[in-house]
Amino acid sequence: MDTEKRPKAKLISFRYLVYDFVKITAALPALLVLRPRWYYESPAAKKRIRGGAVVISNHYGFFDPMYLMLAIWYRRHHFVCGKEFFESRARWWFKSFLCIPVDRQNFSMSSLRAISDELKQGSLVSLFPEGHINGREENVGAFKSGMVLMALQGKAPIVPVYVQPKKHFYSRSRFVIGEAVDITGIYGPRPTFTQIGEVAGLLKEREDGLRAILEKPKGGRR
Amino acid sequence: MTRQEIFNRLKGILVLTDDSSRQGIDDLEESASLMTDLGFSSVTMLYMVIAIEEEFGIRFDDNIGAADFETLGDVISYIEKKLA
Repeated sequence: MDTEKRPKAKLISFRYLVYDFVKITAALPALLVLRPRWYYESPAAKKRIRGGAVVISNHYGFFDPMYLMLAIWYRRHHFVCGKEFFESRARWWFKSFLCIPVDRQNFSMSSLRAISDELKQGSLVSLFPEGHINGREENVGAFKSGMVLMALQGKAPIVPVYVQPKKHFYSRSRFVIGEAVDITGIYGPRPTFTQIGEVAGLLKEREDGLRAILEKPKGGRR
Repeated sequence: MTRQEIFNRLKGILVLTDDSSRQGIDDLEESASLMTDLGFSSVTMLYMVIAIEEEFGIRFDDNIGAADFETLGDVISYIEKKLA
């Protein structure tokens, strides 16, 4: 996957107007209030994400999309969110924020095609594979396997990110960025059903590993 | 293409995508339920749809979701309709 020349998302487009405006205006207050700090799983994880990729993260609160945007600040995120948000009054906001609606009860081909099209165009698709807000639990819940299908169809790697749950909104934000996982590199272009489930389990283990990095004594962190 | 031919090719897809129950797939009938007999989830269902699209050179409708097919027979009927 890395050897192929992958397309990059457009630098400027009218569809990014609201997103970019909010991102630029919120950048300074976010840096001052949230005081983000980044940690990396390995030196390879420090490399910036180029081209299409699926970014996954633990989901402990309503503001996680904002933290994830801060964790990978140099790219625009297309968040996968429940279609019910698009049926609310705030649908304009979700649309402007490049969200992709999915029916969580009946995941359809249209959602899968929309996601894989974004990935093939070089966009970053971000989602929370636990499928729900996991409260203030320190432990990451089981991952659903839909992200694996998205990555396979979009021919994109999966980048795990851990966002440390915060006691207060104004507490320092800490993120751990993991190394990208190339599924086709592990199982080939057509993994079996069983292997798709295995990948979800593997990514959950990786997420637990990222969480463990923050639990290490300060000298052991990168 | 006859219904039986579609069914045989569909079994080929199921074997490729689920290597753990090869024998069970050979014995399947059209009435087999995707959810209860084959243990499909919404994700595996869509994965099967992708494999069918590649195998038969057809495109499933955008609004097709995991809940739209109950049995293997439903899938065969849909493919038959698309190939007609």
